[in-house]
Amino acid sequence: MIAPTAASSPVLQLDRLSRRRAGRPAVSDLSLELSHGQVLGLLGVNGAGKSTTLAMVAGALRPDSGSIRLEGEDFLEHPERARGSLGWLPERAPLWPELTVTEHLVAHARLRGLRGTAARQAHQRIVERMELQPLLRRLAAALSQGQRQRLGLACALLHQPALLVLDEPANALDPVQSAGLRTLIREQAAAGTAVILSTHLLTEVTAVCDRVAILHEGTLRHDAAVDQHDHAALERRFFQIAMAGEVRAA
Amino acid sequence: MSTSAVMRLELRRLFVRPLGWVLAALTLAELGWRFVLLLGNFLAMQVRLAALPSGPGFTDMVGVPLLSSLLTGGFIPFGLTELALFVVPLLAMPTLAGERSHGTLPLLFGTGQSARAIVLGKYAALMVWLVLWLVLALLMPLSLAHATHLDWGKLAAASLGMLLLLAALAAIGVACSAFASHPAIAASAAILLVLALCSIQLGAQAAGVNNSVIDWLALPTHLEPLLRGLVSTGDILWFLLLTIVALALAIRRVATEKERD
Repeated sequence: MIAPTAASSPVLQLDRLSRRRAGRPAVSDLSLELSHGQVLGLLGVNGAGKSTTLAMVAGALRPDSGSIRLEGEDFLEHPERARGSLGWLPERAPLWPELTVTEHLVAHARLRGLRGTAARQAHQRIVERMELQPLLRRLAAALSQGQRQRLGLACALLHQPALLVLDEPANALDPVQSAGLRTLIREQAAAGTAVILSTHLLTEVTAVCDRVAILHEGTLRHDAAVDQHDHAALERRFFQIAMAGEVRAA
Repeated sequence: MSTSAVMRLELRRLFVRPLGWVLAALTLAELGWRFVLLLGNFLAMQVRLAALPSGPGFTDMVGVPLLSSLLTGGFIPFGLTELALFVVPLLAMPTLAGERSHGTLPLLFGTGQSARAIVLGKYAALMVWLVLWLVLALLMPLSLAHATHLDWGKLAAASLGMLLLLAALAAIGVACSAFASHPAIAASAAILLVLALCSIQLGAQAAGVNNSVIDWLALPTHLEPLLRGLVSTGDILWFLLLTIVALALAIRRVATEKERD
């Protein structure tokens, strides 16, 4: 649940986070802070370290070094304390194929520690918000990619987390669904939720994010506010960083 | 609390998958067939047995042999023990290997569940299914309790033996599932491991080796006394030790999942 903390206290603090994967540094010395209501776009080419960073923030991967603090709590020491504070939609929205949409929501409510009336209210609220009513009895295996994404988002938002971590959520969404996703992210931010949005799409970042961080070869190369009227500047900066890496590799 | 949430999720998955229902239906039908055969045999011999001062009764000839053919021989149709050697690994195979292949294991970590809560929750769900299975099998001899003389002590000892056996097999199944990348590999590994535990003694004897350590390692060494009605702390501890070691290995393996590439 979103805690009534002071606006100045960051929801998420990453301090010198590093992680090696397949024998090479996937993320190196990454430090970031994110406040309530802020939407951070995480940009980078394939293999830049975006998904590794998000998996560490979500608690699915342990960093080799560095620290993660979520609402002031050391997330690595006490991952269980974060279960009410964090919502995560991994890439491709993994689901249990033999369970229905309702069963997913019920399971996620329990896993997040929601019980009784709180769980029922959360269920009702998210079903309405994500327009899942017609899908409730459908098996996850029978959902389209867009519907899977909606269910994954519903599971991530069910407990009204303070931090929402979205790994390429616009993949496989049609333009209408993408617009709906942007509205949802802005709604969450307005309600005080901090959002990290990993994407390949620069247009997503300029449309919905307050801040953009560009990762390249596992390191943070750019971290600044987004100028929503200057998409070209962001594009130039992104290609400058991405191409510099390629020139060096050549 | 976390363990119970994982357990309820796993129970739900276990009961909506056809595998659990198919295995339950097939094995209970097979056990029913064995029960009828054992009962027919007992009724045919009842007059002769009644003449013996301490001859075997209904429990020795029907109740316990239904649970295992370890004491009576004649493997087909299988008793519950023989069925469990295959049923438990098949049921346990998707617990963790399935999560890994669906990509849902990181999702469980992402909800703040510890490796211990994940493994114990899944193990507890499996045990609920297995206890129900055992109870349904036991209902067959118990349904005749009013019409015959049941040796309650012996049946209770044999049931305890079966419960401990199922607990150990489930723990081995979950551990194999924790180490395997695919459910089929987990099931094969668990079946091989369990068969090795059952036959290690026979193998050693066939090779002319008579070793007390091998005897101690063998599963039948500890199950047989319980089926005979002899409850000893050593045998109970053997099953508990096997269960705890297998679960500890599974927890350790799942905990290292976050460190893997």
